[in-house]
Amino acid sequence: MNELTHGFRIIPEKCDGCMACMRACPTRAIRVKKGLARVIPELCIDCGSCLGVCATGAITATTITFAELDRFKFKVAVASPALFTQFGMKDTPVQVGQALLALGFDAVWKYAVDIELIDRAIRDYVQKSPGPFPLISNSCPVVVRLVQVAYPTMVGQLIPLEAPREIAGRELKRHYSRMLGLEPEDIAAIYITPCQAKTISILHPAERGGSYLDGAVGISQIYNDLLAIMRKSPGGADAEKLGGGSGEWFLSRAPEGEFPNLSREHYLPLQGLSDITKVFDDIEKGKIRNVEFLECHACQGACIGGNLTIENLYVARSKNLRLVSSRSDSSSEFLREVDRRFADEDFSLRAPLKPRDSEGKDLELRKRVERKKQAVEFLKALPMLNCGLCGAPTCRSHAEDAAMGRDKIEECVFLSQDRIHSLRDIYKKRCPEPDRRAR
Amino acid sequence: MSAELLRECYEIQGGNFDTAGEISGEIKTILRDLGIDAVSLRRVVVVAFEAEMNVVMYARRGTLTLILTDEEVNLEILDEGPGIPDLELAFQEGFTTASDEMREFGFGFGMGLPNMKKNSDELKIETEVGKGTSVFARIRLDAHE
Repeated sequence: MNELTHGFRIIPEKCDGCMACMRACPTRAIRVKKGLARVIPELCIDCGSCLGVCATGAITATTITFAELDRFKFKVAVASPALFTQFGMKDTPVQVGQALLALGFDAVWKYAVDIELIDRAIRDYVQKSPGPFPLISNSCPVVVRLVQVAYPTMVGQLIPLEAPREIAGRELKRHYSRMLGLEPEDIAAIYITPCQAKTISILHPAERGGSYLDGAVGISQIYNDLLAIMRKSPGGADAEKLGGGSGEWFLSRAPEGEFPNLSREHYLPLQGLSDITKVFDDIEKGKIRNVEFLECHACQGACIGGNLTIENLYVARSKNLRLVSSRSDSSSEFLREVDRRFADEDFSLRAPLKPRDSEGKDLELRKRVERKKQAVEFLKALPMLNCGLCGAPTCRSHAEDAAMGRDKIEECVFLSQDRIHSLRDIYKKRCPEPDRRAR
Repeated sequence: MSAELLRECYEIQGGNFDTAGEISGEIKTILRDLGIDAVSLRRVVVVAFEAEMNVVMYARRGTLTLILTDEEVNLEILDEGPGIPDLELAFQEGFTTASDEMREFGFGFGMGLPNMKKNSDELKIETEVGKGTSVFARIRLDAHE
């Protein structure tokens, strides 16, 4: 595994070693050594917390550029419902869709049917499952990775069904290859994504199967262009031109498919990584019973709070409520389409989800226990201040790093005074000389 | 039995529902960080949790000892509690002597011992009414599935 398996990269020239990312990382996957941040790939869950706190723009999301799309003959946008919440109260989804066409897409896929299909498939799965419960939604890639890394015993509780966006990608390729006589490989299914984690779920799916999507473009990446197009030629909606999908932009519910049809008392919606972690801890301890399904989103506000969105979460949420309430009930045509495809299609993930291998997994157990005991010994010598000056986020992480040979225990400034001098050299470029300031 | 690699002993406080489950949580973290496979880990955590809860629910206090060897995890739970008058009955699914209060906490559905039996490769219980109960559970580390 290398850094490319993650949804962002760190540009060394821009990193000033401020450690904000290291402190923000919920899985303690970042170290700052010699003034440079780097990621421990097997610990990173692609949540993007580092991206949000980086002041110098050194951490950027991996998305694709429009030039990369030129190899396809026909380009279809699959827009996260979060996209439509990013514009003014009066801007309609149809206008946003038209702006996507003006931007260079050949069609915009309306994927309300795909969302409804997965909603049904999940309800079905939850009802038929013998347990163990609660089952956990897997549409948020960060949640899947969190379970793989930190809650390996719960991997079997992740629902093994494709996310709606994947089903949309598969269906639109089928639809347009039939309609236009093109090979499916000539058709690009491009997700307009509210977060970098969905990009990585396309490039490197957690279950190591493939993706039906060909890449992702961040909402923030195209926001200005879309806005300019919409302001230049407002109105004039001709929804027919937009082509594929079911004729519905929105389900009468929140973005990214939530599950109002599941019985409320057996279903918990969770948002935000710290809350999810609390609940997962309780589940592992066996404290949460009688709950069958957890819908988990790593971002507060679910996908409209994604880190590649532009609009303030609360404004976006209000826009979303308006969009949802202005939608009429699902048409009979829509429901017929859902029924037809539900009977025909298989929504299972293409490969089983497994826990992620931890570092040193190949060592024999005896060696791993020795290393653990070594870490406990190392920790006794550390100040427990979690100052971060060694380049690890906590004293415990530093002790573990030292025990597994990632770093030397003497990097702690309490253990070797020289360390503070070398740090001063590294960070001098940004601090005025203390003696000069005193004069 | 192969050589002991690690031994950790924890005190369990009876009647303290507030911190109940913390010891099994701690055991989970240790074994997870050691890279124990997920299936075995899950079994260990279930057994440890049920045992911990039994002490919390019924006993004044007890200890839980984790012993790791190359091939297995052993859990020893000793308590100073009321003992189990009819062990055979206690192993029946759904049989419980839990109070309403315990059930309000979401425990005491009569699945404790059956769950422990299901998730361990060997389970021995020694009990004396009025004195206490000792539980020995063995969970093998080679793949179960």
